[in-house]
Amino acid sequence: MVVHALLALGTTVAVLPILYALQVSTLGFQEVFVFPPRLTPGGAFLDNLTRAWEKVGLGRLVINSLAIAFSVALGKLVLSVMAAFAFTYFGRFPGKGPIFVLILITHMLPLPVRIVPSYQLMQSFDWINSYQALTVPFFASATGTLLFRQFFLTMPPGLSEAARIDGAGPLRFLVRILLPLSANNLAALFMVEFLYMWNEYLWPLIITNSDDMRVVQVGIKMLVATDAQAEWNVIMAGVVVAMVPPLVVLLLLQRSFVRSISLGQEK
Amino acid sequence: MEGRFPNRVLPYVLLLPSVAVVLVFLVVPSIEALRLSLFEVSPFTGRETFVGLGNFRELLGSDVYRHSLSVTLVFATAVVASGMSLALGLAVLASQPLRGLGIYRVAILWPYALSPAVAGTIWALLFDPSTGPVTVLIRALTGASPNWMMSGGYALSVTVVAAAWKMLGFNVVFFLAGLQAVPAEFREAAQVDGAGAARVFWRITFPILSPVTFFLFVMNSLYAFFEVFGLIDVMTQGGPGGATDLLIYRLYQDAFVSARWGIGSAQSILLFVMVGVLTLLQFRFAGRRVFYG
Amino acid sequence: MSHRRGTYPGIVVAFTMLLAAVAPVSAQPPVKITLWHAMGGARYDAITKDIAAGFNKANPNYVLEPLFTGSYAETVTKAIAAIRAGNPPHIVQVFEVGTQTMLDSGAIIPVTEMVKPGEIDFDDYIAPILNYYKVGGKLYSMPFNSSTAIIYYNKEVFQKAGLDPGKPPATFKDVEEMGRKIVASGAARAAITFGWPSWMLEQSHALANRLYADHDNGRNGRATKVRFNESFGVDVLSRWKRWADEKLLAYGGREYAPNKAFLAGEVAMLMQSTSQVTTIEKAAKFSVGTGFLPRIEGQPAGKSVIGGASFWVLKGKGRTPQEIDAVVKFFKFVAEPQETAKWHEETGYFPATKTAVALLTKQGWFAGHPNHETAFKQIQEGPDTPATRGVLLGNFVQIRNITDTAIEKALSGKLSPKAALDEGAAEANKLLDEYNRINK
Repeated sequence: MVVHALLALGTTVAVLPILYALQVSTLGFQEVFVFPPRLTPGGAFLDNLTRAWEKVGLGRLVINSLAIAFSVALGKLVLSVMAAFAFTYFGRFPGKGPIFVLILITHMLPLPVRIVPSYQLMQSFDWINSYQALTVPFFASATGTLLFRQFFLTMPPGLSEAARIDGAGPLRFLVRILLPLSANNLAALFMVEFLYMWNEYLWPLIITNSDDMRVVQVGIKMLVATDAQAEWNVIMAGVVVAMVPPLVVLLLLQRSFVRSISLGQEK
Repeated sequence: MEGRFPNRVLPYVLLLPSVAVVLVFLVVPSIEALRLSLFEVSPFTGRETFVGLGNFRELLGSDVYRHSLSVTLVFATAVVASGMSLALGLAVLASQPLRGLGIYRVAILWPYALSPAVAGTIWALLFDPSTGPVTVLIRALTGASPNWMMSGGYALSVTVVAAAWKMLGFNVVFFLAGLQAVPAEFREAAQVDGAGAARVFWRITFPILSPVTFFLFVMNSLYAFFEVFGLIDVMTQGGPGGATDLLIYRLYQDAFVSARWGIGSAQSILLFVMVGVLTLLQFRFAGRRVFYG
Repeated sequence: MSHRRGTYPGIVVAFTMLLAAVAPVSAQPPVKITLWHAMGGARYDAITKDIAAGFNKANPNYVLEPLFTGSYAETVTKAIAAIRAGNPPHIVQVFEVGTQTMLDSGAIIPVTEMVKPGEIDFDDYIAPILNYYKVGGKLYSMPFNSSTAIIYYNKEVFQKAGLDPGKPPATFKDVEEMGRKIVASGAARAAITFGWPSWMLEQSHALANRLYADHDNGRNGRATKVRFNESFGVDVLSRWKRWADEKLLAYGGREYAPNKAFLAGEVAMLMQSTSQVTTIEKAAKFSVGTGFLPRIEGQPAGKSVIGGASFWVLKGKGRTPQEIDAVVKFFKFVAEPQETAKWHEETGYFPATKTAVALLTKQGWFAGHPNHETAFKQIQEGPDTPATRGVLLGNFVQIRNITDTAIEKALSGKLSPKAALDEGAAEANKLLDEYNRINK
């Protein structure tokens, strides 16, 4: 019971800001600015939603973001599992250390610094305003590589020994044995990388030049008036819409989470 | 580690896609950008004037930069420490076999679905010095009227909380995944032996959790150094009076907004070196303590 | 008879060739021009649905494609990337603090060079708006969304405090006296707040006809030293500090964050951009009054400065005469009386021309919306000098950050106003040195 209470408290605190955003998205324009601040929901959700949707064409933006986030998450999964496998099951080989470092530093080269050379690179590939530019540069994953490296290192050596004795090659071992055991981590990484790409704002802004290639985060920025009093209610309605697809992905993957609890214990 | 396969070429084949992507799309543009750290650059014309280490000297000798460094260190430590401990607590709670668990997990992870700018916007609204619900609550309870735009300490605290909160879901997800690797039999055996919950946790669960903990330690540090400028930009713009003037925020301002590419690249190199050394230390010290079983 | 048969085909051929030679221009694909802008929210609709659609309808051979490209800073950076890659848009909207940078970019076509004599009636434009973007007599960019700062006040709070709701404060002293009354009466928690602290400091200087930087505010050669840490600037900041100490000033952050406190009735007065006037009136549940920005007593009479953004034309790899014509026609369209009047009504930015102002007056707009006229009246009064035209600084965005930080440090008591401004000035001058070195 105590556990339930603590958990409920912790979760509520974690979710409170989102609930606040939800509540603001139900208010009318003037109600946003009353004092003391209003904490009860209003009746303007549909209005705000319609305005946000129509103003920036949220439908198309959601589709774009879904396609991009999905393909990048998948790409990251594949590349990082391959890389982690190479780092943990082949002993030492020339360049192993430097390559590991190379992959790890992807998080340490912030985009704002390299924005113009990156743009010029995309220009030279003729990838400006294309899906390739929005996805391929993100396929490598330091997060995923490190995560799976850690995970594979916890595998008992007997596992691969048994596979070799059975005559299985490394790839078969990877696909038939390691991957199923990694289900938890695969789901977790997919969720995390999906969300990461879903939130990407600056790169899509710089690299796309047309309305039909726009992503959802840029759409939300468009709802924020530059020099006018921000219509928080409409903006939050847009934010709520932007939160729904990730939520759906979370819910779907949650089930694989729960199902793999029993699997994980068979080590 | 044992159990390795004898192939000599396969590892390179497996690594090729990651290496190719990183080299082409990240390293090549970065080299070009970082080269500029030795120059003063005109952004439109591209005209470059060689200044050698002048940019670095200016940064390291600047009070503002040094202040930014100390603020960043404080900020990063607070975010990593608070974010990870809170997440661990929540994950332990959420890994009990309980009803309605799925809902809790989704709810905790959901904030990770917000972009930093949106998260910052919501927190800024919540904590608005005059009309934010939190401020009003504090005023009603204590009579004090904290204004984080006038108090550096308060501003720093609020941004730390916002940043840690954002990473909560990420941390909980991986702690949960790691906790599931702790065989129930171990825990049950220890409990049968009469060990209290705390001892079970520290002696058994925590060591088994250490690979994940190490992973999260590294990722949270990188996050605190590199991924928070969206949050700062929306909430405090580095203020008030430089209280939340993080290194990454200054870098963004110089390299991106002001197009001072020379000094922006120099800052990028300094930040890279700092975090690189930090990560190296993490691998050396914490990495050694990880128990892989 | 045979010669007639020979001429028929000849006539047909000649006739066809004649037709081809005078084929209407619309048989060719329309000339496309692109505009990158930072107008979000309600203004996004105004640009795409009203302005772009209206222009395209009135000019079937031209198509204007507007694209939202983020904040002002993101728009400039995206433009730089596109310029360096060789395919920039035709027009880019740049904030006023980016003016010096654009002037030195080598990537623009000055408006004066694009427009044939008599094509645009520049005399019809409101002079202070044009003057900001004019250097050495040449107009470089086309003003689009121009604003200035005014003071908003809560008439109901004034009444409750026993003040005349029709009289906003005219001087800093008024602010203090009225403010004390307001706080003492409990009508509001605090008397005043403002957004854009560094802009307000610039406004204070301009209103007192004082230079903010050397070289005539950077209009007579590039600025090398800022002057905001001289005695006048220190005086302004010291007074703000005094207001803060007396709990009259409730500093709420840079940009537009302080608006919430005003709209909630927590603060009685708000010094803010006039670009907010339409939405503030809409959002407020009380009666909003406006007035000229309060000045410091006993100072020479100056004028407030223009803010906002303007349209810059980018050279790219060279523009065809049709593209240039399209851009000029677009500039003319935006300045047409109905268009610029509508833009003003929807947003609060200035109507661009005297004709538009006359139209609005005739329609009784200003009579029904006195708050919209305040800023406009404010920029009409006062001398036209380099001090009132607005300061041009390299690295201006960064310098504004530095000034914001200095002001915040003084208000929170971390440094004395003089020390804070001196520290800020030293840093700003370093940035100006760097800028001038790079753009020799």
